Amino acid sequence: MASVYIPVQNSEEEVGVALDQLPRDASDILDILKAEQAPLDLWLIIAREYFKQGKIDQFRQILEEGSSPEIDDYYADVRYERIAILNALGAYYSYLGKIETKQREKEEHFILATQYYNKASRIDMHEPSTWVGKGQLLLAKGEVDQASAAFKIVLDGDHDNVPALLGQACVEFNRGRYTDSLDLYKRALQVYPNCPAAVRLGIGLCRYKLGQFEKAQQAFERVLQLDPENVEALVALAIMDLRTNEATGIRKGMVKMQRAFEIYPYCAMALNYLANHFFFTGQHFLVEQLTETALAVTNHGPTKSHSYYNLARSYHSKGDYDKAGVYYMASVKEVNKPHEFVFPYYGLGQVQIKLGDFKSALSNFEKVLEVYPDNCETLKALGHIYVQLGQTDKGQDFIRKATKIDPRDAQAFLELGELLILSDTGAALDTFKTARTLFKKGGQEVPIELLNNIGVLQFERGEFELAQQTFKEALGDGIWVSFINEEKKPSIDVATSTLQFKDMQLFHDLESNGQHVEVPWDKVTVLFNLARLLEQLNESGTGSILYRLILFKYPDYIDAYLRLAAIAKARNNILLSIELVNDALKVNDKCPNALSMLGELELKNDDWVKAKETLRAASDATDGKDSYATLSLGNWNYFAAVRNEKRNPKLEATHLEKSKELYTRVLIQHSSNLYAANGAAVVLAEKGHFDVSKDVFTQVQEAASGSVFVQMPDVWINLAHVYFAQGNFTLAVKMYQNCLRKFYYNTDSQILLYLARTHYEAEQWQDCIKTLLRAIHLAPSNYTLRFDAGVAMQKFSASTLQKAKRTADEVRATVAELQNAVRVFSQLSAASNLHIHGFDEKKIDTHVGYCNHLLSAAKVHLEAAEREEQQVRQRQELARQVALAEEARRKAEEQRKFQMERRKQEDELKRVQQQEEHFKRVKEQWKSSTHSKRRERSDDEEGGTGEKKRRKGGKRRKKDKHSKSRYDTEEPENDMMDEQEMEDEETDINYREEPQTLTNDEAEENAQGLLAAAGLEDSDADEDAAAPSSSIARRRQALSESDDDEPLQRQSSLVRENSADMQLSDGEIRDGDKTNGDDASD
Amino acid sequence: MKLGGIKSVENAHDDSVWAVTWVPATANRPSLLLTGSLDETVRLWRSDDLVLDRTNTGHCLGVASVAAHPLGSIAASSSLDSFVRVFDVDSNATIATLEAPPSEVWQMRFDPKGAILAVAGGGSASVKLWDTSTWEIIATLSIPRPEGPKPTDKSGSKKFVLSVAWSPDGKRLACGSMDGTISVFDVPRAKFLHHLEGHFMPVRSLVYSPYDPRLLFTASDDGNVHMYDAEGKALIGTMSGHASWVLCVDVSPDGAAIATGSSDRSVRLWDLSMRASVQTMSNHSDQVWGVAFRPPGGSDVRGGRLASVSDDKSISLYDYS
Repeated sequence: MASVYIPVQNSEEEVGVALDQLPRDASDILDILKAEQAPLDLWLIIAREYFKQGKIDQFRQILEEGSSPEIDDYYADVRYERIAILNALGAYYSYLGKIETKQREKEEHFILATQYYNKASRIDMHEPSTWVGKGQLLLAKGEVDQASAAFKIVLDGDHDNVPALLGQACVEFNRGRYTDSLDLYKRALQVYPNCPAAVRLGIGLCRYKLGQFEKAQQAFERVLQLDPENVEALVALAIMDLRTNEATGIRKGMVKMQRAFEIYPYCAMALNYLANHFFFTGQHFLVEQLTETALAVTNHGPTKSHSYYNLARSYHSKGDYDKAGVYYMASVKEVNKPHEFVFPYYGLGQVQIKLGDFKSALSNFEKVLEVYPDNCETLKALGHIYVQLGQTDKGQDFIRKATKIDPRDAQAFLELGELLILSDTGAALDTFKTARTLFKKGGQEVPIELLNNIGVLQFERGEFELAQQTFKEALGDGIWVSFINEEKKPSIDVATSTLQFKDMQLFHDLESNGQHVEVPWDKVTVLFNLARLLEQLNESGTGSILYRLILFKYPDYIDAYLRLAAIAKARNNILLSIELVNDALKVNDKCPNALSMLGELELKNDDWVKAKETLRAASDATDGKDSYATLSLGNWNYFAAVRNEKRNPKLEATHLEKSKELYTRVLIQHSSNLYAANGAAVVLAEKGHFDVSKDVFTQVQEAASGSVFVQMPDVWINLAHVYFAQGNFTLAVKMYQNCLRKFYYNTDSQILLYLARTHYEAEQWQDCIKTLLRAIHLAPSNYTLRFDAGVAMQKFSASTLQKAKRTADEVRATVAELQNAVRVFSQLSAASNLHIHGFDEKKIDTHVGYCNHLLSAAKVHLEAAEREEQQVRQRQELARQVALAEEARRKAEEQRKFQMERRKQEDELKRVQQQEEHFKRVKEQWKSSTHSKRRERSDDEEGGTGEKKRRKGGKRRKKDKHSKSRYDTEEPENDMMDEQEMEDEETDINYREEPQTLTNDEAEENAQGLLAAAGLEDSDADEDAAAPSSSIARRRQALSESDDDEPLQRQSSLVRENSADMQLSDGEIRDGDKTNGDDASD
Repeated sequence: MKLGGIKSVENAHDDSVWAVTWVPATANRPSLLLTGSLDETVRLWRSDDLVLDRTNTGHCLGVASVAAHPLGSIAASSSLDSFVRVFDVDSNATIATLEAPPSEVWQMRFDPKGAILAVAGGGSASVKLWDTSTWEIIATLSIPRPEGPKPTDKSGSKKFVLSVAWSPDGKRLACGSMDGTISVFDVPRAKFLHHLEGHFMPVRSLVYSPYDPRLLFTASDDGNVHMYDAEGKALIGTMSGHASWVLCVDVSPDGAAIATGSSDRSVRLWDLSMRASVQTMSNHSDQVWGVAFRPPGGSDVRGGRLASVSDDKSISLYDYS
């Protein structure tokens, strides 16, 4: 081991000091040095030796002593050594300042260093080493340009000053001019080939930065050859190994990194990389330790940023978003420009999304996007944020861009689809399908949520088979399979329990049989949707089992209770339905859906007051934001306005006003709420604004066609009502019929009743009666329908009898119809002994009486009509005979052409007269002759007149009657008559005229007389009919008051049902989305 | 098992066809199809070509039900005016006109031996039994009034009897009503036995299995067909699938299948061993009011036949195998 020898003053002796045996206490040496006035270079050597041995305090003690003022005085002429000592101190403090992390102390160190260098400069301005030192100090302080100036001063003096070259290289490196830096390093190496490994490290780094990885690697390896413990080179090599991104490379890299760590445990870079590695291996504890150490040992911005980032990531993955956010933020703060290190921005953005701070997240992701404009993840995240911020369109754009950049990113398609659900279900479905295909292609399992969404969309579009397949795919294998598949009946008979809506025995039995009844949480929604679909496919039995399966495992699933209740309700099992809803309310007594449904059931049970309270509660539970509850209340008020038979106009008006207000409130909240619009239009119609309400109804009707969840037959009926009220019977009939066919499979007797009323009003009696008979057939126990049928028959008969011109057949039909009416009424009268129908016996008896009265009148009419018919027949026969006679006469005339005797004409006349008398006899015979012939003819003739008549308005009819009928009957005769027979004809006509007018008079008298009496009754009867059944009324005014009401009322109740369904299904979709939303934000 | 369409007659009636039954074969002729319609006529058709044999008139208001005596010689038809006309199938001579006011007339069925005609009495909440030799009422099977505090307006019309069915041994009679309850009677003792619960909407048609006197099939407006053990008061099974009311049900002579007609315009065939719908015929364009399997016997043993009638005025005939 080397030693230094301190010459003893004034002697030839020297004190040998072995450098490896320097005393622990530097004062010993100092004493010697001072005592012997040893040359300053010895001081320096000893101090450096202390430094090398890590004895920093001793090193500083010696140098500080060596630079003290007394030394300056004593060694005033020894300039170089003094400068060297000062520079050593300056370098030392520069280093201290560089590694110091606390800002204040760091600056103190730098100040000290600066003082020493300045002192050195004062000794000699041009000493290059001082400048080099200054340059290094400036570099450490980050003042790159000044450092460069310092180095330049040295290099101007000496091109090959190695330290300056190195310093300048460092400056260029920091400036990012790696080529220049590399040149400088190279020059330094040429000048001083034995320079320390660090120079080669610089070369390696430059090459690395320049992308010349192989050469960089060579350089680093050379460094390691020279200095096997060079941490930087090890780290650099390790990073290069890691960069290969292959398992072997990473392993090699990690080995090197670990060695570097073992050599020097405070290299921040190595720590960061190790932490990074342990993050991926999931050892979060190590990550935190390493990064904390790294943070403690470095103040280099980017490195710290890395460390913070690692730490944040660790917390992020552990779900500690608050901490993660703090560290991301710290990491971001260390980064000057996002370009340098963009990851923490991304992480920060993610955490901010999690914490709900979308605005900040937005700006962070946008920064990421600046750096990586095509990064799918960022685009997706941005899309997600915009959606959360309510800017759906923008969100869609971003995600669409993401799908375009990477058309194989199933996740992006998934998110895009979710966005499209709201606006364009068709496109959403396509997108989801693409996502599904991508997942399948990629060999990944298709997420259940995706399949669920596809299924729901297919369901919504009415593709039930497909939807069922999709749901089944989503569910996969499980206990439910045995319930769904009919082929594989489970050991326990499912069917028996389909009706026991609350029966869970089935599942208990299955469990006790050793079968595992399990429903994974993520499949509940799908199961629910499948059950809902089965309901739609009329497999409500299976659906009910699935709902119960859900409840068996998840007894808090309110929607399942509600659907079960809905099934029970569809089967008309109201009590059970109420029970089920109450079960749902046990889970959550504020659930607005359940409350609404309960309210509706109570209405169905005719429990008005209770229903109102329940609906109120539902409305309160949502702060009036739930439009359904508000709507129901509106409906309630509407019913209240119109339900009472004995109207209280004041109450009615207030109720109507209230319902209108409620509908309007809903419309304000949701301008596109069909049901509210419908309700508002009903109120409008109620007030007589038919045109406006018609417009609204039409719009609602258009809007309602499209989704399976929106079934609004009510609006069709309402439209028909409006047409009816406006007198457009043909359209009304069409509308009713379409509605009946489209929505009710022709099973709704109520609509048939509306239809019958329209026919009645349009005076299409037969159609009216047929329609009523159909209605009776559908609803046999509805006695009001019979009553109405009776009234229609009566009305038909009366109107036929009132007609001036009718055939015996018509009258006969009338009589038959009257007999039917009498029978219907008397049956009703008998039945009303048994039951209460809402109309009393007396009224029916009046009708019976009136019908009987009509019947007896009709008999007279019948006789008259028959008589008239005979006369017509006689006339026709006569005409025919006359025609024959004429023929004969013409023939005779031809014969007489030869004779040209005029006298014979008189004979001819006589003959004709004789013939006529003969005809009269024939006439008598005809009376008893076959009827069939007669009927045919009269039909033909009467058909024409009848038709003409029908076209006439009612009022004009009577006035026209005489002239018209006469004209009609006379016409054919006139045509055939000869002048010669005018005489006869006249008498004939007179003869005929007499009874005819008589009949007419009689008819009129009868009709007027009787109907004057009955007229009162007639209108009375109508009112009777209107009161209980709201079916038949003539006055249009009455229509808006009484008739229309009940139909409308019924409709509105339908409205409720429908919207209940809709809401529930909405709920499903929402459910699906919710899970998805969560996933997405993950 | 399978249904194959043989023949359909469009406009078989002038209006909706509401009722159908097979008149069993007699020594002189094969079995005939009997239909009743809203057009107030009853028509007889020869199978398999569905040639119109005769049109019976005389009813007022629509013909709602037809029934044929098991021997095939006489039949009954009834209309909404609650008259029952009993007539000789081959001569159309009126044998009797029955009415029992204030009781209405809905579905009618002859008992398996042909001694009694059971008539569902609508709002009278009873079934009238007519002796087929004297045409006198021999018994009125009344559904007991439900015990409750208020037998008022609502519950009053609920026990409205719509449909009747005889057990194959003729000892039991079941009737379905508007409120969905099914009542079972002991016929020899003219006694009400019990209700069968499960439906809450009108039961318009019900039929006993030809082999199992306990097994009863019911069709209801709730869209389901139920299978009951009529003696044990137990619901054995439910078959759902129709989209609307199930209006009619009939069981095949071999007892292995049932056919149903529904407002959803379809006729469905159900395999009882699988308790599932095996075939759906959708040739009708409106509600299917009646389905009827041809009873076995007679000269033509060419296999099973099923007939269906509908509001679309048509009659359809299918081969059942």
